[in-house]
Formats: sequence, structure tokens, C-alpha cells
Amino acid sequence: MKAQTGSYGEFERLAMPLFDSLYNFARWLAQDATEAEDLVQETFKKALHGFSSFVPDTDFRAWMFRILRNTFLTSRTGLRAKLTVELDPADEETTPVTWETPESLALASATREALQAALDGLPVMYREAVLLCDVEEMKYQEIAQVLSVPVGTVMSRIARERKLLRQMLAGERSVRSGSARK
Amino acid sequence: MTNCSTWQGRVASYVDAELPLPEMEAFREHLATCPDCASTALALMESKMAVRRAGNRYAAPPELRANMLHFAKGEPAVAHNAAGRDREGYRNFTARHWTGWALATAALLLLAAGLFVAANRRQSAKAVAEFADLHVTALASANPVEVVSTDRHTVKPWFQGRIPFTFDLPDLQATPFTLVGGRVAYFHQEPGAHLVFGYQRHFISVFIFRDTPQLAMPASFFADNTSSFTLRTWTQQGLRYVILGDANAAAIASLTELLQHAR
Repeated sequence: MKAQTGSYGEFERLAMPLFDSLYNFARWLAQDATEAEDLVQETFKKALHGFSSFVPDTDFRAWMFRILRNTFLTSRTGLRAKLTVELDPADEETTPVTWETPESLALASATREALQAALDGLPVMYREAVLLCDVEEMKYQEIAQVLSVPVGTVMSRIARERKLLRQMLAGERSVRSGSARK
Repeated sequence: MTNCSTWQGRVASYVDAELPLPEMEAFREHLATCPDCASTALALMESKMAVRRAGNRYAAPPELRANMLHFAKGEPAVAHNAAGRDREGYRNFTARHWTGWALATAALLLLAAGLFVAANRRQSAKAVAEFADLHVTALASANPVEVVSTDRHTVKPWFQGRIPFTFDLPDLQATPFTLVGGRVAYFHQEPGAHLVFGYQRHFISVFIFRDTPQLAMPASFFADNTSSFTLRTWTQQGLRYVILGDANAAAIASLTELLQHAR
């Protein structure tokens, strides 16, 4: 193991507060308890191994989530998710963020179960930005580091994912796999 | 969609607290005069809260946490095969191992207690975030308070019949605080009082609810200024008080003291 004895304490101090969030995010990505556990274990292993390369005073949370996401993307489920839903290049551009109030009310007033079902219904790659923004309360810059995309892309992804959620809750469409592509 | 051409397209950035500080201030002032933007921002904030509640869905298994803790400390982790869940130990159990099992049980109980504390902390953090959301959502709304009055003898009776308890408000004469008004707030379907106080150019929220386990707040007095808000919470006569705002910690502490000695 690469980490030096002295760095264990520092790693524990930084990593353990993120444990619950990492597991929650891993479950949303993998959609399977066993796989999520493996993802978290692998993330901790990789992070500890590469801890000496982590630059102090930079964003450790983004670093950990990025390792987790990259680990997921190279897993069988992750590869399948990437193949199933190829992000639309048009969506990668910065698009104006609009917000339709009647639809948004459907989202705001949805029950927790309905929202969870709607999030479940989104393809993996279409739920990660909004989860990082709204659940993990990450800043756009931080999300950009996790997803390895520009900040403008983060903004348009969040807008798109919120829009899909609103539409699903408003019962306008069912978004699954390939049909998520507009 | 808001028809306001000035701010259209930036509402989400405001709600996500991503606008530069001067623009945040400007937008906040704009909200007071633009019902379109105010309702759009309010809907978006509420939907963010809804997604946050729904997204915090999965709790990690205790043994995984214990293993990661061992791992982070550089200690050998207990074998934890997520796929296999090796249970050989159970099959090899014999009576002569009882002391080992007793020790293991004690260790598990200690671990469970630790996890309970950790889970409570996490729940508390969520509760704190939800109160911060209530504060921000109310201030972003076109009507932050339902009863507008600086007179405590007007505000307190207004809550009669609206919430299932009563409370005392302090006399604010000769203090730097002013009462702005109040509204009924709901936290986990439980009605409570949301009072808004003014301090210089800041607004401070005071939430009062019956102290139930559902509130999942720290047991007694608790202060937090790790986020952009300063927060204090305590229990008093069966009621849970939560005070938060972007005023400095000394101001929040001073208002806390006034509330604690209100008669």
C-alpha cells in the first residue's frame, strides 16, 4: 500500500465523513446494494493508494466522488449504462436554463416515493448531475470536477435532468434508456 | 417560465447559490418586486428540497462502515465480501467459543452504539439543512410572513389555533432586533411557528416546534456556523427552538438569549 503511516490519520479524517454520501451515490449509480458496497470499497482502496498524489487544500470530496464515478464507469454495469445512453452532444453545450412553473410544481409537490421512482426511471447518466447538485449540494465547479466536464455542461445537464424529472412527474413521458434522447 | 427578461435564465443559478455575491443581492432585491421570478424561484427551491429528501435514500450497512474505518486507519479489515457474505464462522461455532462470542457481541454493541450516534449526526445534519431551506424559501417568497407586525402582542396571538402549542416572545425594546412577523411552517408534517426577526440588514429565522424525535435534532444545545448560516438550536419547556440566519454569531447568540428569557 502506497500511503505512509502518517497519512492514514489524515485520510481517515477526510474520507470517513464522506462515507455515507459516497455509499448513497454509489447505490444511485449501481442500483444494486452489493455492487454499491464493492464500489465504495474499491473507491477507498484507490483513494488511499493514491492519497500521496492528492494535492492538500484542493477539493477532496470532488476527488473521492470522481474516483467513485470512474470506478463505476469501468465496471460492467457502468459500461452498460454508458452504452445504453450516449449523451446527446447538443446537450453538452451550454443552454439557457428555463423553468416552467406548472411542471415545477409537480416536482415540488411530488411525494418522496414518486420522486424516487422518477429518479429510478432516469438512465444513470441522466441523474448524476442533479443528485450531486441537489442531494450532495455540490457547487457547479465541484460537479464539473467529478464529471470531468466544463461548468457550462454541468449547468445544462442539471437543467436537462430537472426537466426530465418534471416531465416524468407530470406524466408527460416515460424516460428510459434510449428514449431519454430527445 | 418567468416572463422577466432581466433575470430569465439565471433563476436556477440563484437558487443553486451560484451567482456572484453582488448579483445574488441584486436578485434578492428583484424578487421583492417581481412576482414571476419570486414564484419561479420558490418552485425551484421547493423542488430542490424535494429532490434532496428523495435522493438521501440509501443507508450503508454498518459492517461496511466498520470495514472502511479499519481500512482508512490502515488496520487489517474484517473480511467483508459484499458478494459472498461468508458465513463460515457460524457453521464452526461450538460452545467452547462462548467467551470469544461474548467479546464479539460486546464489540458489536459498542459498534452499534457508535453507528447510532453517527446516524443521529447525519440525521441532524439533514434536519439543519432542511431548516436552512425553510429559511431561504420563505425569504425568497413574495410574502415571507403571514402576519406582519413588529408587536409581539399581535404576532403571538395570531398563532392561536394554527399551531398546537404556545410560546413566549421577548420584549425587543432597547435591543438591535426587530420583529418582522411570522408564519406557520411545516417540518415533517408537523406545524410550527416561523418567526422572522430583523437585525441591521439581516433577516433571522426562528423556528419553534414541539420537540419530537421526528425532528432528529441534536439533544440539547447545539451551535453550527460551518455553512454560510449561523445556527443555534435548543429545547425549552418541551419546545425545540432553531434560530438561523446570515447575521454574525454574536447577534444570533444575543437573540438566542433574549428568546431563552422571554416571559
